[in-house]
Amino acid sequence: MAKGFTIWFTGMSGAGKTTLARLIEAELKNREHRVEVLDGDIIRTNLSKGLGFSKEDRDTNIRRIGFVCNLLTRNEVVAIAAAISPYREVRDEVRQMIGSFVEVYVKCPIEVLAERDVKGLYKRAFAGEIEHFTGIDDPYEEPLSPEAVVETDTETPEQSAAQILAKLEEMNLIAPALPDAYSDEDDEEIRRRLEALGYV
Amino acid sequence: MGLLDRFKSKDKNRRAVLIGLDGAPYTLVRRFIEDGTMPRLAELVKRGTLLQMDTTIPDISSVAWTSFMTGANPGRHGIYGFLDLQPNSYKIYFPNSRHIQCTTLWEEAGRRGRRSIVINVPSTYPAQPMNGILVSGFVAIDLNKATYPPEFVPKLRELDYRIDVDARKVQESHDALMEDILKTLERRVETLLYLYDNEQWDLFIGVITSTDRLQHFFWDAIEDENHKYHSAFLDYYALVDDFLGRIGERLGDETLFIMSDHGFTGIEKQVYLNRWLADNGYLKLKENARSIEDIAEGSRAFALDPGRIYLNLKGRYPSGTVERAYRRALLDEIKQGLSEISANGTAIVKRVYERDEIFSGPRTDAAPDLCVQPIYGYDLKGAVNKQELMDRDLLTGMHTQDDATLFISAPRDDLRPDKPHITDVAPTILASMGLTAPEGMDGRSMFARE
Repeated sequence: MAKGFTIWFTGMSGAGKTTLARLIEAELKNREHRVEVLDGDIIRTNLSKGLGFSKEDRDTNIRRIGFVCNLLTRNEVVAIAAAISPYREVRDEVRQMIGSFVEVYVKCPIEVLAERDVKGLYKRAFAGEIEHFTGIDDPYEEPLSPEAVVETDTETPEQSAAQILAKLEEMNLIAPALPDAYSDEDDEEIRRRLEALGYV
Repeated sequence: MGLLDRFKSKDKNRRAVLIGLDGAPYTLVRRFIEDGTMPRLAELVKRGTLLQMDTTIPDISSVAWTSFMTGANPGRHGIYGFLDLQPNSYKIYFPNSRHIQCTTLWEEAGRRGRRSIVINVPSTYPAQPMNGILVSGFVAIDLNKATYPPEFVPKLRELDYRIDVDARKVQESHDALMEDILKTLERRVETLLYLYDNEQWDLFIGVITSTDRLQHFFWDAIEDENHKYHSAFLDYYALVDDFLGRIGERLGDETLFIMSDHGFTGIEKQVYLNRWLADNGYLKLKENARSIEDIAEGSRAFALDPGRIYLNLKGRYPSGTVERAYRRALLDEIKQGLSEISANGTAIVKRVYERDEIFSGPRTDAAPDLCVQPIYGYDLKGAVNKQELMDRDLLTGMHTQDDATLFISAPRDDLRPDKPHITDVAPTILASMGLTAPEGMDGRSMFARE
């Protein structure tokens, strides 16, 4: 049975957490892991419905997501959380609770995020229409020692995902994809050598 | 500072040397020490402890050396043979170093800032980055992919290093094979001593694999003094002895380990488990089948080399026929049948292990359902193209599971009293260097007396 663990994407709005979460989800399912994504935007419409963006509410939201990730992790599921989770202390609290925890800092300069502004939120935040906006009038506390840092202003999503998968392999949380380490020619040569010793 | 602390701090920067002799049986090494074939080893053994060791099941080099380097059982490291089937498929692949799921001894040493030289350990191809120098052993093909760092390749070429004996030479002649065995040993020894003397290292691992090749093809020469290659066999071991002596004379306060990955004995017959499975209605093969890839519909079980039996379970294999509910009954039936295979009135199966008896860990799902352990003399094979259950070919020696060799340059009283297992070697080496074993090693340090 594959191990359960939690991948926790943290970073500012629009940095690419959901995109990466979905890419990693697809790849891990390919490798026959059971996977569940907990997306911050979706969680706020159900599990954390009614919570606002004060520090207290944000911490409550993260604790709830962390609680579910912990349940999944201990049942051999890979839980992938994609939430801004701007406060270091509560992230570390969740890490403590779950144990098998891979923090991925999805890093992108705010100028690039404002330029991208996929959800149109930065424009509104700069115009003062949204309060408590992380990176503008609310703080974002960078992780001090995340398992991985991906820089989405310079990397393609596929490059970032590959880096995260390599980290998971290195941590022995997932098995490497079966690589065609050998060419067909090499395969034939190996087969002949094994045959010479009676192994095939 | 207490006595124990002083002992610990002395250990802290200690170096270790491991010389591997692929397939060198404890009983043969013991005999060569006593009859004077290996006088320099005899001297070394006076300064330490020579033990008989158990190895992995299956007792073949790819599995055994991987368990050596990871201290783990195949259920953790994921290597069950020289070949395996891809998930949910009958397609064969050849596991390589990238398939090993556990931390190796030298990776662990590297993490603690120790530098390793690792030469010719089987199943380390392609060479993975590490702190030091690694040259892969069997089944390495290309020296460039076998060497880390790549900058070391020119030096290897200059040393006329040889990755391996070419066992196909036996088709030409036994003389040609013997010449290749001797030449490969000579180049290996030269390279090992060069590295020993000229590189910085904390852990030195050098493996001689021509012992195994010699024994596969010349085992019959040992017992028969009139055999054409009797003295050549002894001369070969004398050369190995000379090499061990040359390591011995270089030793300072390093701990020396000498080990083999399995034992050896003579072959009476090769036994083809797929023939048995087919004859008893468990296996159906397409016409002119070359490998298990040519399995036909309606099969209930098949075998992979050496004695790995897999039930053709629904859900596990594309044309699986066996329902999970019948697994238990089928296992019992096959075990019963195997126990009745005999030659000259003697049962040739010593024991059949079920998966959960010998494997544990996250890769247990990929394990065979049964592992068949034969008695000495009956070499189990996975070939599918045989018409007879048993025959003989050019091979005269086969592996054994309970007669591997382990020498440690430490007094017997410093070591655990029980029989070592190959997974104990890595934690023991780490302990000798003052390092604790990482999580995930099944073996225990031989220095741990509690």
